[in-house]
Amino acid sequence: MNESKFTIEHHSIGDIKCLKIQGYLDAHTAPQLESAIGNLVQEGKHKIIVNFSELDYISSAGLGVFMVYIEDVRELGGDIKLSEMKPKVFTVFDLLGFPMLFEIVENNHAAIAKFSN
Amino acid sequence: MVAILNSHNNQISATGSTAELEKIREFVGAQALLFGFEEIDAFQIALAVDEACSNLIRHSYHNDNNRQFVVKIEQNNGELIIQVMDNGDSFNPMSVPEPDMEEYFKKFKRGGLGVQIMRKVMDKIEYLPAQTSTALNILSLTKRLA
Repeated sequence: MNESKFTIEHHSIGDIKCLKIQGYLDAHTAPQLESAIGNLVQEGKHKIIVNFSELDYISSAGLGVFMVYIEDVRELGGDIKLSEMKPKVFTVFDLLGFPMLFEIVENNHAAIAKFSN
Repeated sequence: MVAILNSHNNQISATGSTAELEKIREFVGAQALLFGFEEIDAFQIALAVDEACSNLIRHSYHNDNNRQFVVKIEQNNGELIIQVMDNGDSFNPMSVPEPDMEEYFKKFKRGGLGVQIMRKVMDKIEYLPAQTSTALNILSLTKRLA
């Protein structure tokens, strides 16, 4: 697996976990994100922000990762909020109506504020 | 302006590995830009081809990187036609029914969205199954230059 094409940085903001993803999220790299979010959920972390500011590409394999965990984290009172998406990446979410299910916000501050409400 | 694609550089071969998807997207995206599509359209055309190839690699080639397939680009009357040619078992992606996305989200379903992306992005999708054991299946994805 070519790690340089997709990387994940982990940050904590209080009880909120932020994953900053970079590069290309496709069928090749999606398992890395699935495993990262899966580890957080297993650790009992249910408030998750995924920051897309440095993500240049996503395919349905990437979209699928969010479908895997969204029900579980919401049942536990958390959420996966998606922030700072580039317009071209947003078009992929929008093509299939994903903004219906996921909260997509301008930046991490907005995501944190949504968790506080 | 519609550029004439170089007929010698209008196809690439790839193996049954998802590591190949990036080079396929780069190839298709560059050819779509050269053909005259806007950047966002070229991005989405490359996405549709990625979805077709991802399905092929996973479901037909079972991630076997000893298997090969070809992505070929043709043009016809203001249309860009991308053909994905493989020697796996025939499977027409258009036989997959269109999902009801409201239902999909309500039930937190997973998978099966690649074909839907192909439908949303491309103007025409045709599938020609191999007629003999030595022939290739051909999936043609067509997008008209507006």
